[in-house]
Amino acid sequence: MTKVGRPFVSFAFPDELFPRVKDSINLYKSDLRLMTIDTDRGLVVLSPVDNNWILTVLYVPELQLGLAIAKTKNVLRLLEGIELPPPPEEFEESVESNLQVLESIAINAASVESTEPTDAPLTPTVEVATPPVKEPETTPEPAADLLPPDSFNVQPGTIPERGPQYASALSLDSELYKEMKNLYRNFGFDVLMLVDGDISVEKIADSMFQPNNRVIDLLKWGASKGIISVPQITAEEQAAADTKTSLGRYVKCPRFEGDTSKVEKDDQDIIRLCDGSRTTEQIAESLKVPLPKVVQTVAKYRKHGLKLIGKTL
Amino acid sequence: MPKIENPLLISLYSYYVEKILAETESIEEANQRLRDLGREIGEQVYLNTEIVEKTKDNVTTREDVAKLIEIVYRVLFDKKPKDVDMKTARGSVRITDDQCVWCQEVNLEGMRGFGYCEVFSGILESILEFKGVDAKVFQELSQATGADTCVWNVRLV
Repeated sequence: MTKVGRPFVSFAFPDELFPRVKDSINLYKSDLRLMTIDTDRGLVVLSPVDNNWILTVLYVPELQLGLAIAKTKNVLRLLEGIELPPPPEEFEESVESNLQVLESIAINAASVESTEPTDAPLTPTVEVATPPVKEPETTPEPAADLLPPDSFNVQPGTIPERGPQYASALSLDSELYKEMKNLYRNFGFDVLMLVDGDISVEKIADSMFQPNNRVIDLLKWGASKGIISVPQITAEEQAAADTKTSLGRYVKCPRFEGDTSKVEKDDQDIIRLCDGSRTTEQIAESLKVPLPKVVQTVAKYRKHGLKLIGKTL
Repeated sequence: MPKIENPLLISLYSYYVEKILAETESIEEANQRLRDLGREIGEQVYLNTEIVEKTKDNVTTREDVAKLIEIVYRVLFDKKPKDVDMKTARGSVRITDDQCVWCQEVNLEGMRGFGYCEVFSGILESILEFKGVDAKVFQELSQATGADTCVWNVRLV
């Protein structure tokens, strides 16, 4: 809707709520940042997109406040960098023809990033949920080398990031979205909305009151389709997974607990990485130095407080 | 770094521990594999040392067992354990060592229940068996996983 609270494009947003939303907008005017209004139809989240437009979304009453805000923020993020023209001087509120105006904007802006109509209210079913995209065609770059879901390493602590197909998966008319909906119903959409490169799998699961495994399962599928990106299982991890179940791979990671000022200049790079989280092999790899050099240095500082921490991964 | 005693033993043993950890699926299985390794070594120890001459032919009482343990310690490590307790628990003898040879400078994280020095359980079990004592030995605590001392329980069957 416009900054004065006139609905421009609406997807099943209940009409009777508009006056209330308008009142709230008028109350804050330029100060409006992110506002929630508790209504009997659910939670309305208002967030200004730019100087002209306000995104107004109605969420189902059962949805947690934090989750609703996170979803709204993610839509806003999708809108970043997209310039929306100001509303026309004259328009009829919430008419279909307004949608065409938006679509033309969307087509212009549709490159990799998706475009969001100014006003994308969510119906109480979460189903027509915050459609961020009105893209006429599916995304440009089809991921070339798609791997099976099991070749990705998704742990509760993993932080998934958006992949090349992310926008496409969220556009309601894409094949990918349909496939996801078939497999996971709205759960897929809800999880993807929370993927922003900052939040871990565990937190996503927590905020949705879902088990980690369900989220992991979906994310692995998503990763296999290029929707999100997560680390792949390395050959070593694969071998480990084949040979054992409960006991992980045993590794020894050097940890320096001595006085760093006594470390010689040439050894500092290596010793700095001796924090108990990496193996000597990993240190050698990340510094692009030969393994014997790392072992040599680690051994040299054993008597200055360097310990080897054994653990299973 | 405190001086490591018997570095060759430590190097060999840590090699076997890592190998076993790479081949087993659970902590319990790894513990058992280390005890099995110890039982095999126990036979070599019995053949190669003077334990046989220094101990009574018939080890029957808990006192005898405690004495035998001290002799094994003397022969293998040239020292005494911190404590050999045969009074607290009926039917078992508990060995406490705060300067355990096996896990010197070993720091394990998040491997609760892993008996790093279980090999000694096997060695002891096997020697006791040669002396006609039916016993189950297992490690209760290990300094490698953060305990103050290493403790083994010799349960006499």
